[in-house]
Amino acid sequence: MDRIKADSSNARPPQWAETLLRPLLTPKNRESISGDLLEEYRDTIVPTLGPAADRWYVRQVGSFLLRASWVWGAILGAALVIRYLFDTLVPPTDYKMRATVLTYTIMAACLLAGFSAAWRTRSMRAGVLTSLSAATMGALFSIVGTGLMLAVWHDPATLDAWRRSGGLDEAFIDVPLKLIALGVAIGAVGAVLGKGVARSLATEVKTGA
Amino acid sequence: MADVLGTFEQAVLLEVLRLGEDAYGRAILKAVQSRLERDVAAGAVHATLERLERKGLLSSRLGPGTPVRAGRARRYYRVQPPGIRALNDARRTVNNIWRGVRWPVMGARWTV
Repeated sequence: MDRIKADSSNARPPQWAETLLRPLLTPKNRESISGDLLEEYRDTIVPTLGPAADRWYVRQVGSFLLRASWVWGAILGAALVIRYLFDTLVPPTDYKMRATVLTYTIMAACLLAGFSAAWRTRSMRAGVLTSLSAATMGALFSIVGTGLMLAVWHDPATLDAWRRSGGLDEAFIDVPLKLIALGVAIGAVGAVLGKGVARSLATEVKTGA
Repeated sequence: MADVLGTFEQAVLLEVLRLGEDAYGRAILKAVQSRLERDVAAGAVHATLERLERKGLLSSRLGPGTPVRAGRARRYYRVQPPGIRALNDARRTVNNIWRGVRWPVMGARWTV
C-alpha cells in the first residue's frame, strides 16, 4: 500500500495534456487548477485506476476545452445546418447572397472564439485551440445535421436542390474541412487581437490611464 | 427577486459552506461528486466557482502548495453574505414550489 502511494506521488500525467491544459486556464487560476488536477491524479486516480489514470486526466482537460468552445461550435454547426435547410425547403435564387451571409457568420464566430479565449486567458494558444475545437465541433454538427435532413427529405426535387446548392460532397467533405482550416486561421487572428486588447487594457489599468 | 441559483450552483456553494476552511478546488470537486452521486468534470466545477466569484457570492485566496501538487498553490473559497442570501432564496423558492405537494410524488389523480 505504501509502495503504491510512493509510486503515485511521483506519477506524471501525459505531458502533452498538461501543455494543452495550462493555456486554457485564466492567469489567476493557472497554477491552482492545474495543481488540483495533479493532486487528484496522484492521490486518487493513479492508485484507483492505474494505467487508465492518463485517460481520466485527458478527459478532464477535454472538459475545459469543451467549455471554452462548445457555444461557438454550436453557432457554426447551426449556421451550416440552417443553410442546408434553406437550400432544401426554400432554394435561393441568389446563391451569392446566401454564401456571403454564411461566410461572414462563420468568420465572425471563428474570430470571436479566438478573441474571447485569448482575451480571457491572455494566451494566443488558447485562442487557436478554442477556435480549432469550435470549428471541429461545428463541422461534426453540420455533418450530423445535414445527414438527418437527408434522411428525412430525399425526394428527387430535394436532391436536385442539393445538387444546385453544391452537392453531397460539398456538404459532407468540402465544407467541414474548409471550416476547420478557416477556423484555425481566423481564430488565430482573433487570438492575436484578443491578447492584444487584454494586454493594453491591463497596461491602462496599471498606469491609471 | 434576483436570479435563483441553479441546482449545480447550489451544490457547489453548499459544499464550500460545509468544507469551511478546507474548501479548495479539489476538495470541492470531490465533495460535489459525492453529494450528487455522479462523476462531475473538473471543468464544470471550476467554471461554476469562477462564475459565482464574479457574481460576488464567493471570494477566494491562494494558499500554500504541497509536494503532491508540485508546489502549486491551492485556491481556497469562502461563501460571502450575498451567497448566503442566494442560498436562502433558492431554498425558499423550492419550498414555495413544493408547498402542498407530498414527497415522493405518486402521480396526478384525475376526477371526471
